Amino acid sequence: MVGLKIKNLSKTLLGMEIIRKVTATFLPGRITALVGPNGAGKTTIFNLICGYLTPDNGAVFYDDEDITGLQPYQVARKGIGRLFQDVRIFEGMTVLENVVTACMPYASESPLFPFMRPLRLSRLYKHARERSCYWLEFVGLYAKKDYPASELSFGQQKLLAIARLLSKGFRVMLLDEPASGLSPIATKKVMATLERIVSEDRDKTIVVVEHNMKVVTEMADWVYFMNEGQVAFFGRTDHVLGAREVREMYLGF
Amino acid sequence: MNYIIHLIIMIAIYLILTLGLNLVVGFGGLLSICQAVFYGIGAYATTLLMMKVGVGFMAAVLLSVLITGIFALAIGIPALKFRGDPFVLVTLGFQAIVFTILYNWVELTRGPYGIPGIPRPSIAGYEVTELPEYLILTSLFAGVIIIFLVIIYRSPFGLALKALRDDEMAAEGLGKPPFYLFLGAFVISGMVASVAGSLYATYVTYIDPTSFTLDESIFLLVILLVGGTGNLKGPVVGTVFLILLPEALRFLGLPDTIAPNVRQILYGLIIVAFMFLRPRGIAGEFKLR
Amino acid sequence: MTLLLQLLVNAVCNAAIYALLAIGFGLIYRSLRFFNIGFGAVYVIASYVVIALSETFGIPLFASIPLGIFAGILSSILIDRLVFSPLEGYGAPTGVLLVASLGVYIAIVNLIALIFGNEIKIITKGMEPSFTIGPIIVTRIQIAQILIGWTGAILFWLSIRKNTLVKAIWAMGIAPELVIALGLPYKRMRAIVFSLSALFAAAASIITTLDVGIDPHVGMGALLTGAVAVIVGGVNFYWGWVSGASLIALLQAIGVWLFSAKWNELITFGILIITLIFRPDGIFSPKRRAEER
Repeated sequence: MVGLKIKNLSKTLLGMEIIRKVTATFLPGRITALVGPNGAGKTTIFNLICGYLTPDNGAVFYDDEDITGLQPYQVARKGIGRLFQDVRIFEGMTVLENVVTACMPYASESPLFPFMRPLRLSRLYKHARERSCYWLEFVGLYAKKDYPASELSFGQQKLLAIARLLSKGFRVMLLDEPASGLSPIATKKVMATLERIVSEDRDKTIVVVEHNMKVVTEMADWVYFMNEGQVAFFGRTDHVLGAREVREMYLGF
Repeated sequence: MNYIIHLIIMIAIYLILTLGLNLVVGFGGLLSICQAVFYGIGAYATTLLMMKVGVGFMAAVLLSVLITGIFALAIGIPALKFRGDPFVLVTLGFQAIVFTILYNWVELTRGPYGIPGIPRPSIAGYEVTELPEYLILTSLFAGVIIIFLVIIYRSPFGLALKALRDDEMAAEGLGKPPFYLFLGAFVISGMVASVAGSLYATYVTYIDPTSFTLDESIFLLVILLVGGTGNLKGPVVGTVFLILLPEALRFLGLPDTIAPNVRQILYGLIIVAFMFLRPRGIAGEFKLR
Repeated sequence: MTLLLQLLVNAVCNAAIYALLAIGFGLIYRSLRFFNIGFGAVYVIASYVVIALSETFGIPLFASIPLGIFAGILSSILIDRLVFSPLEGYGAPTGVLLVASLGVYIAIVNLIALIFGNEIKIITKGMEPSFTIGPIIVTRIQIAQILIGWTGAILFWLSIRKNTLVKAIWAMGIAPELVIALGLPYKRMRAIVFSLSALFAAAASIITTLDVGIDPHVGMGALLTGAVAVIVGGVNFYWGWVSGASLIALLQAIGVWLFSAKWNELITFGILIITLIFRPDGIFSPKRRAEER
């Protein structure tokens, strides 16, 4: 089966059971949202999928391949990308370099590559720069491409991180609060981009953790509602967010 | 004149050391305190290969690079499991261990007595003996290594190291393997230092363990901290400045007995001042964390 | 066999001194979370003040030793007030603090070398009175070392359990922000951490100097021994520090017995590296689930 699937994941950290037997499927061509109160374990699920944490129990499958316990960089090389809640840009680089470093092919990162394939390297750099400029233009940061990344505002840094992710062409994107800290216009833009990506390329899988219910209702096709480390409800967005129990438990109306 | 040539030779040797270390400290963002170990292993390996095995200069240099590379691998694999203070401590531990071995394994290294009478380098039958000849030899070596390092600084490898330095988690999330990239930087930096060791040993024609102490490693780090890291000009500025500083002090007419201490006091104060005023060094682009 | 017994007695003495060093270093490393190389400078200052007072001004040891300890404490607080506190006020990361403390160490040690010379200074001349117990010889200073070292370690342990302020200092290492949130006197606690650390450094320094003398450059070795003991034993576990110190002393003694004293450093750092690789939380720390980074 294609797509990303987690099965019976459990994780205990510092004596607290943060995730308890969570099973979920994230299908391509669809935006899935993870919602739930703070501390429900949404970010932990991302950390478990990406290899920043290893699960105590359970497994992560990607296109039927068991990727549990792989190193984060190995998970990324399978085509699974991650946007962090705290943006995590590379502060010592310019805006353009931030994206270029993301889209250089893995093989070119061998220390000997520039000596073995100097011509190919300059072609790769040129190509990466063009692609980076395209994506910077796309998120509206092209004018700032030669600025040090540390001089950007929080919202701009988030857009930069998104550009970095998009330029990489990941097949699965796990986005931790993509809309928080963004202006309404930027939020719209990011949402439109994500929707366009899944509608144009039915092969892409997008999972978002989001607190802004408006964003979730407008964007997500499918919702997993989490509470206390477990999946409480899941289903089509309007069904889950329309359910009385969910409204009472979480949304409070 | 000879004095000036001597200074230029020393600057060239130190440029090799600091520009190599820059890859680990400035690009990788890892405070490594064992660069003098690789410098020392390079110097001793070349000396022993030339004197005991009877290998020619160029072959000795290349073999030393290989030997030092193996040492760097052996030190880097355990050390790079760590970041921050524990990394500093592990590299410092290896510095202390290798120094103790160089100092106490008298059968091999003659320990504190040092090894005198190291042969002059000879290349293709031409023996380098005069100071100006030596200047040319060192400059050639330094030039080739600097070009090599600058290509690496600008390669995707260098860029990936910077990414890891700025945010290891995010860089991992983009598919950069921290351990392998850092290990690559560490080994390259060690191998490069080995060449500096070969040049130093055959230039001075005498080595003893006190040239490769913890203080030497700290001095190399201080050069980087003062000059700045993460680019080419930072280490160059730092090296020239800190190699010439004691010479400038000499003109103040300090007696030889106290000059080394005065110099060290100045180093100490300069470091503290830089941490307050300019933690990224004179011309660096990376701030310590 | 006699040799081994004698070496073990020496190990107990060394362990006492190493324990003092570990507590002195560990206090700052654990409570304030930074690797303070300046500790080595304080170590050297204390002994040299004693030497200056007793040799140059002829002040008897019973008066100059407390003054040396006092000077150590004073310099420790001063270094913090002039360098570390302001840097931390700017929000300096730990790497900057580490490097700044290195600068402080280099400057102070070389200033002392400039004044007193680089060679070894000895306070007590002539033979130290010693006692023979069967085949073993123990000097008066060694007995003092054992008494002072182990009393210091036990007193500190008692104060962690009983004294509120020391308890708070111990807790500070777990959650530094809590101290400010709870309205505890951060500045005063910081001063106390630095004074206590200096007290232990000075004690270790002076009793070592009385035994074997001192040169300006031993501070780094003292600092590293303390640091290795703390990390090998387990940063978050007080008895681990003392056990780490004892382990180093013991293995060094065995090293001397089997090989020679010249490999001591190799043993110390060998223990450090092996521990960090196989038990990064420390050998003696209570079993804890491996935390993910």
